[in-house]
Amino acid sequence: MFDWLRRTRQEGELSDAELHRAALAGSGEAMAALYRRHGGLVYRFTLRMSRDAAAAEEITQEVFLALLTQMGRFDAARGTLSTWLCGIARRQLWKYLERNDAAVLSDLDDEGAAELPCLSDGPAELLLRREAVAAVRAGMDELPPMLREVVILCALEEMSYEQAAHVLAVPVGTVRSRLHRAKARLAGLLRGEMANTERKR
Amino acid sequence: MTTDRELDEILAEIGREHRTMDAPDRLESVLCAATGARKRALGMPGVRLRWALASVVILLAAFAATGIIWQARQNHHSQTQQEGSVPVPKLSPERIPPSTRVTVRQSVEPGSGPARSARRVKASLPRSSQKPTTWNSLDEFVPLPVSEGLPIAAELSVVRIRLRGSDLQQYGLETPADAVAQTMLAEFVVGEDGLPRAIRIVR
Repeated sequence: MFDWLRRTRQEGELSDAELHRAALAGSGEAMAALYRRHGGLVYRFTLRMSRDAAAAEEITQEVFLALLTQMGRFDAARGTLSTWLCGIARRQLWKYLERNDAAVLSDLDDEGAAELPCLSDGPAELLLRREAVAAVRAGMDELPPMLREVVILCALEEMSYEQAAHVLAVPVGTVRSRLHRAKARLAGLLRGEMANTERKR
Repeated sequence: MTTDRELDEILAEIGREHRTMDAPDRLESVLCAATGARKRALGMPGVRLRWALASVVILLAAFAATGIIWQARQNHHSQTQQEGSVPVPKLSPERIPPSTRVTVRQSVEPGSGPARSARRVKASLPRSSQKPTTWNSLDEFVPLPVSEGLPIAAELSVVRIRLRGSDLQQYGLETPADAVAQTMLAEFVVGEDGLPRAIRIVR
């Protein structure tokens, strides 16, 4: 029935809207195509945020099932399908975090939160880049979820501020300020790591 | 500033590695199955359309059949009214005779035509004893001698029957010699017990 879909998919011509219409009509192949196109983004985002592969998988599945049931809420004029899916993933993710990670959520408002330890404010030389990368990675995990999600979307997924704002349902200015704060924390952590390395030498 | 630039580079490196991660393949089959299940749950649009068309056709056929039946009944009713246009006489209690057991149906000749109609007449008939009456009228109901002794009928019906003149004798009526062989249309007044009380010759 969906031979046309198979042919055109191979040519990569089908838009998200066309694939979604086919999926709503019952085409599992169209749904698979949508998943291959956007599943990675959703899964990576949820995995980075939850740090739990099983939870990330479950949330990703729920997000794509929402395509079949909540698609009426998608407004193409406001954003792309990928950002809409990420928005759903984010809502599911926060529910998950509320259930399983109350300690992390208590640190949501980073205005009053303690700064990550900054061991040195002086200039540092990066001796071991790998250690620095590991330190930043660890620092990202230590960030409050509200800052971490901005770093994931803007720095790792290379979304624009507008796209991230659509996912997070906040103004673009809020995205900018949160990203600035997150980077300041990571930079402080990085400086401390570099100082530590220097001291060891 | 150096640290910020370093941080951006590190984030870019982490991002490159991050973006190589893909969603698990096993979810693909799960989603395909869910899509198929939803399709089955909702039903095929084509099947739904066919069912809707079939329902409309059945409804139209039912309406048409109802209309035809109603029309036929109306025609039948009007025909019956035309045939039964003979006025139903008022039955005076005095004219309802005593009884004898007679079955009206026995006098109906098979294939003698459709001339039969019944009309319900409610009346309270007090018992009365009258001398046997001879058949001598085409306009009025004549009490049947054979009905003497029958109980009072609470409800009477007029039954139209085609019969021979000779048949009247079994009801205790005297038949003129020239009418014995004639076929005539008669109306019987029949009680709720099915026994005739009176007769009138229509033609």
